[in-house]
Formats: sequence, C-alpha cells, structure tokens
Amino acid sequence: MNDDHLISVQKLNKHYNGGAIKALNGVSLDIDKGEVVVIIGPSGSGKSTLLRSLNLLEVPTSGSIFFEGNDITSKGIDINKFRQKMGMVFQHFNLFPHLSIIDNMTLAPRKLLGMSREDAEKEALDLLEKVALKDRAHAYPSQLSGGQKQRIAIVRALAMKPDVLLFDEPTSALDPEMVGEVLDVMKDLARDGMTMAVVTHEMGFAREVGDRIIFMDEGRIIVQGTPDEIFNHTDNERLKTFLAKVL
Amino acid sequence: MYLYQLSIREWWTDLKDTFILNFIADDRYMLLLKGLGNTFLVTLGATLLGILLGVIVALVRSTYDKTITGMHPGPGKFILSFFNKISSMYLTVIRGTPVLVQLMIAYFVIFAPWAKHKTLIAIIAFGINSGAYVAEIIRSGIMSIDNGQFEAGRSLGFNYAQTLIYIIIPQAFKNVLPALANEFIVLIKETSVSCYIGLHDLTKGGEIIRSRTYTAFMPLLAVALIYLVIVMFFSRLVTLLERRLRNSER
Ligand SMILES: Nc1ncnc2c1ncn2[C@@H]1O[C@H](COP(=O)(O)OP(=O)(O)OP(=O)(O)O)[C@@H](O)[C@H]1O
Ligand SMILES: [Mg+2]
Repeated sequence: MNDDHLISVQKLNKHYNGGAIKALNGVSLDIDKGEVVVIIGPSGSGKSTLLRSLNLLEVPTSGSIFFEGNDITSKGIDINKFRQKMGMVFQHFNLFPHLSIIDNMTLAPRKLLGMSREDAEKEALDLLEKVALKDRAHAYPSQLSGGQKQRIAIVRALAMKPDVLLFDEPTSALDPEMVGEVLDVMKDLARDGMTMAVVTHEMGFAREVGDRIIFMDEGRIIVQGTPDEIFNHTDNERLKTFLAKVL
Repeated sequence: MYLYQLSIREWWTDLKDTFILNFIADDRYMLLLKGLGNTFLVTLGATLLGILLGVIVALVRSTYDKTITGMHPGPGKFILSFFNKISSMYLTVIRGTPVLVQLMIAYFVIFAPWAKHKTLIAIIAFGINSGAYVAEIIRSGIMSIDNGQFEAGRSLGFNYAQTLIYIIIPQAFKNVLPALANEFIVLIKETSVSCYIGLHDLTKGGEIIRSRTYTAFMPLLAVALIYLVIVMFFSRLVTLLERRLRNSER
C-alpha cells in the first residue's frame, strides 16, 4: 500500500516519562525517491526524534514506518538490514577515532556487504576524490578539521550505497567558515538525485536545495510545502514567528 | 678503634654465615626459585581467567545498562535480566569478602576432593576474584565511550555485538590497558596469601627456609626484595605503556 513512497511514516508517537513528554505526537510523512526533505522548527520540537526514528535509533511508542514497502516497526524484522540502506550523518560526526579514514569508510562495506578490502578501498578512494580528501585517506580523524570530518562522515555513509541519507544538524558543530564546504557536498548529492532528509538551521540551504520543507513544533508537523510556500507565502502564525527569529 | 674493627669483622662474618645458611646450604635458594615460579604461574593463570570472566561480566552488565529500557518483554529480556542479576551478585559477593577467605573456601570446601592440585585451585580462586575487579574496569571502559560511537555503528547496519567488537571494545581496551596491567601487579602481591593453603609460592619459599634455619630476617627480607623488584619492573612497564598509548592518541 505504500510501495510508491521510499519512506512512509504513519501516526508516529514517541512519548517519554509515561506520556508526560510527547516528543512526537501523531506525525505522518511521506518521502519519495530523489526528494530532499528539510525539517525545520524550534528547539525541542521533535526534529531529531523524527529523523532518528526513521532508522529506529529511537524506537517509537506507536505508529509505523514503511521503508521501501516494508514495515520496519513490525515485530521480528531485522532492522540491521534496513539500516544498511539508510545512511546517517550526525552533528558530532562520530567518526571512529581508532581507525584511519580509509578504515572508517571500508569497515562496514567489508564486514556487512562482504566486499574485499581491495574493492572496498577502491570505492572509498573514489568517494574521497569526490570530496577532495583523497590525500587524507591514511590520516586519523583527530588530524582533520571539523569540516573535513563531516565530509568524511558523509562519504562513510555513502560507502554503503544507501537509498536515503539522514542528516541531523550536520553543520551545527562546525566553525562558520567550514559550513560551506559541507553544504556544498550535500548540494552535490542532492543534484545527483540522492534522497535526503535533513534537519538543519541553515535556512539558506533549505530554500536553495529543499524540495519540500517540513515545519515542526511541539512534536507535530505544523505545515509543509515548497520552499517558496514556506518562506514567502505562509499565513501560519507559528511558522511566521519562527522564521522571524531565524531569518 | 681495634674493638670497633673487630665488631665489624664479626658482624660481617656473621652475616656471611647466615647468608650461606639460608640460601646456599642445601641449595635453599631453590626453594625461593621454585616459589617464584609458582607465584608467576598462579598470577598469570589468574589474570587470564580474570580477564575472561571480567570481559563476559562486563559485556552482560553494559549490554543490560544500554539496551534493557528499549527491549520488548520476551525471552531475550528475561535471559539478559537473569544473567545481569547473576553478574551483579558475583560482583557483590567477591568484592565484599576477603580474598584469603575465598581462597580457603575454594581449597577446604569446594575443591576439597582435589586438594592436591593446589596451583590449579589457587588459579581458579584468584581468577574468580580478579574477574570481579577486571569486570568493573572493562565496564567503565565501555561506558566511557561516547554513545555517538554506538549510534554510528548501529546506523551503518552493524548489530549490537558487531558494534561492540569492531568499534567499542578496541577503543575501550586501549583506555583500560594500564588499569588491567595494574590489576596484574596487585595480583602478584595478593597471591602471597596462598601459603595458607600450603601452596609453595614465593612467600612460602621464604617460610620454608625460615622454619628450617630458625632465622627470620634474611629469608623474609629476600622475599620482600624479590616482590619489590618484580613490582617495580612491571610498574615501569605500565608507565611506558601509558606513555606509548598517549603518544599514539593522534
Ligand atoms: N531521552 C529523553 N527523555 C526525555 N525527554 C526527551 C528525551 N529525548 C528527547 N526528549 C524530549 O523530546 C522533545 C523533542 O526532542 P528533540 O531532540 O527531537 O528536539 P529537536 O527538535 O531535535 O531539538 P533541537 O533543535 O534542540 O535539537 C524535547 O522536548 C526533548 O526534551
Ligand atoms: Mg535535535
């Protein structure tokens, strides 16, 4: 029934403290192949919780999530198989400090996809070339700048050839001068047709790259629409208040 | 002046005689050497057993801490809770009672029918004891790794065990290696109580000499010196290890 959407979220709830906190309060959302969905909203509105529910890093209290037609919230499903197809990029990069860049990138393809070291490294080097970091292949994460780390985190996720990439505030931990280099990589990905769900405070990116903007508040999706609808033609008071603060 | 020289000479001859009596006569130094060998054997065996037990208990306890809240009721949750309970009972009992009492219970009660295998019993008793301390060292190592490392591993598609093996344990192990080495050093000294079960370790070696020569000073001093040298040697190694680990932290 949901085969036409890459991801379909239905009536998702995430409660804490026995329902006292409703981090997600009946969220429904479809994401299509090739779409770039940008999630915005004030702090505590549930953006991270929604994004992290998509690959079940957060286990929802109720509701369902279909990924490529499979209900990944149903009992007995092997979530690890599906996570291989859903890459995730974190605010704090989360590179593996004990592994070199190339090993960070090849660990999962080798262990989970059964690729040979040779093949995995060849593909990793191609990806590194795309983000202009091929010469850093044998460096360790702590030797890189924040912007470089996040570009590595993106290609590490890409090395698994995912069908969708989830970004949770990928530029929030970066010095301002490094934000651009990471956003540029994300723009390239969007242009190449990668499906992306991005939580961000970068309204410029949302406007330029987003196919659809989701505005959340208090665990709900308040409005969604094209960047033009959201940024130029909204009459929703909450959204207007939010935009007045961030723009 | 003359008297003084005489007394020094007397003292020296006396010292030489006691030395010969305690260590050279009847090849008594062999008693110390044999004891030293057993001390090493027990310490090494107990360390290995302790690390094995400690890793298992640490994995059970940290898996429980990290996953139990998100688990659905079912056999998996029941089994994990069960093993977690056993693990924490083990930690409470072992860390709440003296090692000498544990050793004597092992020797005189649990393994009484196999009493002639003293070394093996000592290895088991000290290994079980050490495992409790190693478990807490390793658990703190695992818990000290940022949760983002877990999430990064899981988001790539690794299951819980793979994330531990490929991502968490290598980092945790590096962090706790000095503490584990210190545990080994503590164990070297701790095994000295195994003379209570008549095991011929280093301390017992000194004891045997004392009971045969009726001189306490020299054999006990020798035993103390040997422990000191060994402990200083391994402490030095740990310091070097710590320095290397710090340098390799890029
Ligand atoms: N483990 C938790 N226990 C209790 N409440 C939580 C927990 N995690 C999140 N929450 C609550 O859920 C709500 C949504 O949090 P979430 O992190 O999704 O917000 P967010 O939109 O990502 O905010 P930010 O922009 O600050 O990152 C918040 O009110 C938060 O306090
Ligand atoms: Mg957030």
